[in-house]
Amino acid sequence: MIMLSVMISLFWWAVVIFIIVKLVSGGRKKHYSWLQRELPLWEEKNIINKEQGDTVLSLYKLKRVTAKKKMDMVKILTLIGVIFVGLGVIFFVGANWQRIPAHFRTGMLLAITISTLYAGYVFSYEKEGFINLGKNLLLLASLFWGATIALIGQIYNIPTSENWYILLLWAFPIVPIAILFKNDYVHVLASVLLVIWNFLYSSNNHIANYYYPIFIFLLMLPTAKDSILSRRISIIGLVSASLYCCFNQYEWLALLISAGLLVGYLAQKEERAYLYTASLSFIFWEITYFTVRPQEPNLYFLLPVGVMLYLTYKDNVEKNLVFCLASLLIGLNLALSSVSQLLGYPFNGLQFIIFQLLSGISIYSVGIVSRNRGYLFPVIYKIIGYLVTFICVYLLAFKVILTATIGLVGGANNVHLFGSLILAGLIALFVIDERRFGSFKSKSSRIELAALIAVLVGSFILLVSPYTVLLNVIAMNSVLVIFALSNIFLGVELKNPPVFTSGIVIFTLFIITRYVDLTWALKEKSLFFIVGGLVILFLGTFLEKQRRMIIERMK
Amino acid sequence: MNKKLIFIMVSFLWIAVAVGIVISKQHTIRTGRTVLLETVPVDPRDFLRGDYVILRYKISTVDLQQIQSEKSYYGRKEKVYVKLQPRERFWEVVAVKTKMPVSDSGLYIKAKAQYCYSKKLELNYGIESYFVPEGEGKDIEKNMRGSKSSIGVEILVDRLGNAIINKVFAR
Repeated sequence: MIMLSVMISLFWWAVVIFIIVKLVSGGRKKHYSWLQRELPLWEEKNIINKEQGDTVLSLYKLKRVTAKKKMDMVKILTLIGVIFVGLGVIFFVGANWQRIPAHFRTGMLLAITISTLYAGYVFSYEKEGFINLGKNLLLLASLFWGATIALIGQIYNIPTSENWYILLLWAFPIVPIAILFKNDYVHVLASVLLVIWNFLYSSNNHIANYYYPIFIFLLMLPTAKDSILSRRISIIGLVSASLYCCFNQYEWLALLISAGLLVGYLAQKEERAYLYTASLSFIFWEITYFTVRPQEPNLYFLLPVGVMLYLTYKDNVEKNLVFCLASLLIGLNLALSSVSQLLGYPFNGLQFIIFQLLSGISIYSVGIVSRNRGYLFPVIYKIIGYLVTFICVYLLAFKVILTATIGLVGGANNVHLFGSLILAGLIALFVIDERRFGSFKSKSSRIELAALIAVLVGSFILLVSPYTVLLNVIAMNSVLVIFALSNIFLGVELKNPPVFTSGIVIFTLFIITRYVDLTWALKEKSLFFIVGGLVILFLGTFLEKQRRMIIERMK
Repeated sequence: MNKKLIFIMVSFLWIAVAVGIVISKQHTIRTGRTVLLETVPVDPRDFLRGDYVILRYKISTVDLQQIQSEKSYYGRKEKVYVKLQPRERFWEVVAVKTKMPVSDSGLYIKAKAQYCYSKKLELNYGIESYFVPEGEGKDIEKNMRGSKSSIGVEILVDRLGNAIINKVFAR
């Protein structure tokens, strides 16, 4: 139960962080791709010359892109036609197969399949001008092959628990068409079938399927260099297989997939999906390791995280930092959880949240250092650090949650307590060091420092005196108010509407927290919601009006 | 690589795979001994999925205390050989072994252990799906409802223990 709650909370964090960073970076990406598309047009119209175009591109670290070839209508229609005919034959076989004698129908379908394969070969390589038709016919032959195998399975009543066997017999024999005829449609089909085969094989036989990643790494991915769709399907298949390992304790399989994806990235660096999924797979491996050996602290995770961080910095892959930090947080928490189990300490919700909170501040502090010393990715560190810290502070601001957490406490968890004290000590040293070098001279830095100290002091109060609910509620709500005010002041100081708005949002959340704490104990819950709803409506309208006025003034 | 050669190789592979499965199944049909099995009712929510019927046999559950068994516990997916003997019209389990006995002339069928609890062993024989033309599964479904199933299954078992369904009939 404890393990499950830890895992769910960690997953939740990783997902929240990823989505927000995706949203934050997504807008910029849209502008970049617009610029990449427009530049050739400006050059064509002689508004700028090629050198100027290159200068603009290098300013934003962008590559020159060539216009994507548009798929013509005939191609799309023939492809749809082929898929329809293929599906039609499969359904015909499914519905009418008993009316035709068994051997005749198998022979007939096999003959149609081989004839289609032959036609595909002829139109692709013997006759000129029909390459596209030939390519589609080869796909159709691969679909017919699936129908033939399914029919044989039906005739001999091969049980549905052995569907993996049917999928295997369908997928593997079409791989030579995909690779040797360089047919990307069939490559995509084979990749999809292999993903399904892997899951059917594992779920029906209850064993780890090592054949799948080996086959994908050695054959499918190296031959899918030009087929992005096929490559992505295989990569998604691998990372899903890695996720599946968490629930089935296949730790070596998870490690194999992670390592393979990492090698894939090193071999083809332009495909960033390899690096993201390798990082994600390493997270799944950390979780799998913990499920297999809950009492053996896993410190090996530091090695892959170190490699991932090195590559993230070396190749300037901003988004991968999110996965690295998630990996670090999850790995650290799981290792501490193992140590706790080993030493017989119970799970303590309050100390657990405080540890996460201090981890968040530590990440934020790395962001400050990165900004002050000109290192890479200060913004990502700050966003993640801020989010983690804020979520923890917000949870701890609820009297209801604090009381419930204390109710669940079976005793102190000294592992999280000492972990938190170490983190708090490191942060305090960092603040002193940065002050010594005069990093907090500007007004905005001083506001940032005030918020940092407030969180540190608040956490310390909770750590030292976890059972005084009233004091803790006051401490954490004060921190929340300081968070809100510092964001409002920072927003005005920096003339930054999003920061200012986030201050208003935090302030609104604070009001909601107080309202819930004050009225939750009431027996009449309908009143709680009606009055609460009206208050939020009134407050929302008022704050929105004020917010717009101030933002208007900023402009 | 010569494209024509690739075409010939792939055609050959496809024909070999298809014919290979047919030959192995036909071998069981030609050389197999006929065995009649009694079915038991299956939860009606999931025994008919689309165009096939899920069959469950009386021999699918074995009480290890009532028969000869080499072990008192079998692991999940463990391969076993089940000795069958006719009792009145239908065949029943008399022994469970981990290897096919060479000297025994009795009929053995290959199976995989699903799970084992309180000396009760659940087995899967690979003959649990029976494909029917669209819509015709309803009649079988009707006959398998209630406390007792009125459906019997004729299977063929070769000397290696491989089984195949020959027909499904109303008792």
